[in-house]
Amino acid sequence: MRASRAGAAAVIDHQSISMKKISLTVIGLYLGILAAFSQPKPDSVYQSRKLKIEEINLVSSYYHQEGDHAAVTGGIGSQKLTDISNSLEIKLNRYDKKYRKQTWSLDLGIDHYTSASSDKIDPKTLTSASYADTRVYPTLAFSRENEKKGTEFGVGASFSAEYDYTSIGVNGHFSKKTKNRMGEFSAKAQVYLDQIHLIYPMELRDGASPEKLKTGSDARNSFSGTFSWSQIVNQRLQLMFLLDLVQQTGYLSLPFNRTYFDDGSVHVERLPDSRFKLPLGFRANYFVGDHLVLRGYYRYYMDNWGLKAHTASLETAIKVSPFFSVSPFYRYYRQTAVDYFRPYAAHKAGQDYYTSNYDLSEFNSHFFGSGIRLAPPAGVFGIKHFNSLELRYGHYTRSNTLQSNIISLHLKYK
Amino acid sequence: MPAAPDNFQITGDNLFRRTLKLMGNRFEISVVAEDADRAEKAIELAVLEIRRIEALLTTFRPDSQVNQINDAAGIRPVKVDQEVVELIIRALKISRLTQGAFDISYGSIDKRLWNFDTSMTALPDPAIARQMVRLINYRNIIPDEKASTVFLKEKGMRIGFGGIGKGYAADRAKMVLQKAGIRSGIVNASGDLSTWGLQPDGKPWTIGIADPDSAGHPFSYMDITDMSVATSGNYEKFVEICGRRYSHTIDPKTGFPVSGIRSVTIISPVAEIADAMATPVMVMGIRVGLDLINQMQQIACIIIDDHNRIYTSKNITLK
Repeated sequence: MRASRAGAAAVIDHQSISMKKISLTVIGLYLGILAAFSQPKPDSVYQSRKLKIEEINLVSSYYHQEGDHAAVTGGIGSQKLTDISNSLEIKLNRYDKKYRKQTWSLDLGIDHYTSASSDKIDPKTLTSASYADTRVYPTLAFSRENEKKGTEFGVGASFSAEYDYTSIGVNGHFSKKTKNRMGEFSAKAQVYLDQIHLIYPMELRDGASPEKLKTGSDARNSFSGTFSWSQIVNQRLQLMFLLDLVQQTGYLSLPFNRTYFDDGSVHVERLPDSRFKLPLGFRANYFVGDHLVLRGYYRYYMDNWGLKAHTASLETAIKVSPFFSVSPFYRYYRQTAVDYFRPYAAHKAGQDYYTSNYDLSEFNSHFFGSGIRLAPPAGVFGIKHFNSLELRYGHYTRSNTLQSNIISLHLKYK
Repeated sequence: MPAAPDNFQITGDNLFRRTLKLMGNRFEISVVAEDADRAEKAIELAVLEIRRIEALLTTFRPDSQVNQINDAAGIRPVKVDQEVVELIIRALKISRLTQGAFDISYGSIDKRLWNFDTSMTALPDPAIARQMVRLINYRNIIPDEKASTVFLKEKGMRIGFGGIGKGYAADRAKMVLQKAGIRSGIVNASGDLSTWGLQPDGKPWTIGIADPDSAGHPFSYMDITDMSVATSGNYEKFVEICGRRYSHTIDPKTGFPVSGIRSVTIISPVAEIADAMATPVMVMGIRVGLDLINQMQQIACIIIDDHNRIYTSKNITLK
């Protein structure tokens, strides 16, 4: 159901994804509460009083009162007073005593997706053409930036739950810029402690499986280190090198994947309980002009299950106007099969590990499409807090017959 | 303050800036223009205008119009330029609005009785403090618009434009620049700034507001255009007595140093009002000050109290 997290080989699980994201950001826990007036000033000689109408309008009439012929603001077209009401926004930063910028952010994400294939786990529950699930994932992050030294560090925590899966994540990151601020090294460590609800295929439940199956839930832990170097070569060209080291332990199979052996028996997929992944990536962004950006990406991936993969992609972003952009993209992907993969009814009995999951088979794929992004200053459709709308369509074809169309929609409210 | 040398810079595409000392303050005039020549000429006109106002309002030159008014206090009305009379009439309006927390006769303070000093360990006796400010009273300033005269009723009274002159100069400089065809720019009179138009890249001007804990570092930003901003604060000049922080600002009605607020920022399309309102809001206190600003149109304010809590008028959204 879920694409594995860091450097996963295959990403497309769903026939269709519709995603809605609401993002709330709170920067700086520095806000005073207006109600908390703790000003002990009993002897104040000033009293609140109701203003007269000319006092309320003092600003707009200030230089135009009787006798004031100097009229500082008169006579010039652009002098029309800007209406101040509700138009001022203050962005808060918090610096500590050493002038380091501290930022807190709290994000609440809500994904809602529908998937045609997840219905097939238990056909009896099938009530509609597709299954829908909602995922809620709050994250909390803190970072501190020392602008003088060009360093930043941060820590974060996240929680995510969906019907068959809960995940707790913690992470820390550190980055340092070079003296001329053109290069930046960054390192990030992440730990995810996940619990998977073991939901087996219908006919293999209640002891019907040839093997003894664990019931309840099982752990899957991921540890990853990400190292990157980004370099601004010049105003137009930016490069980035990426290295990930990922170790996963625990229940790494998918409990609802069936494997048919050559004797006709059906089994639940079984894979080793440890996997080491090593993706190596390279990214280049080239700004052709103000209106065109080329983004290139190549990644080599290998793991100790025998999977090797190459990814190459090119995306262009064409800024038609400051508020409207189009971004066509193409991605090519090729992978070899894991050592434990055999197609349908080709596995022989007596092996330790077996899977017929075609995500782990040898294949190549093409993924192309385009996104459009609207971010008008007055809000999308004139709705003030509706910041941006991004619609992406992609067509995905895979050599082993999987085809899909993916439409995703990102809406941002602020 | 280190002396600001007069210096003209090209700071970006079509953005030109001149920094110099005027009215005892560091002024920074930035304009957006097609070429340096045009920018330089326009800025020169603005500088001449600020110098003209400085000569009119200064109390440092014995023969200035303001000092003539002060010298004749309690004796007779003095004939001055219409511009000075009008400025005084506007200042009195702000005094009435702020119940006397803003008062251009603040200069009448009698420092022989006691003087604010950062080595102070005790507050003055309330009776002595009141005695010190006895001559501060805007009601005793009598402008006569028709005769173009100003009369101070009490002998010993003095007026000064320290609380409003910088803002007036910023408004005038902006007007001169606009007349010279400058469509956007910033006049920054050491922190009291007046903006109009947009940056060369078409975005509004971004203004930082200094953090009371680390002056020179903005704690917040806002995007403004056609707005003026002024901040009054006790960043450096304050004293702590019995755990309370007292600022060098003296309440003109009680003679006591003001406490409770570290800084007040006023945002308004008129620089003179922004400049004039920051200190009285600090004097009046958070509750009375905010209540006043909230009732008014076209003005906003941000207050930071001694505990670093932020209070804003209703027309500001914090992000």
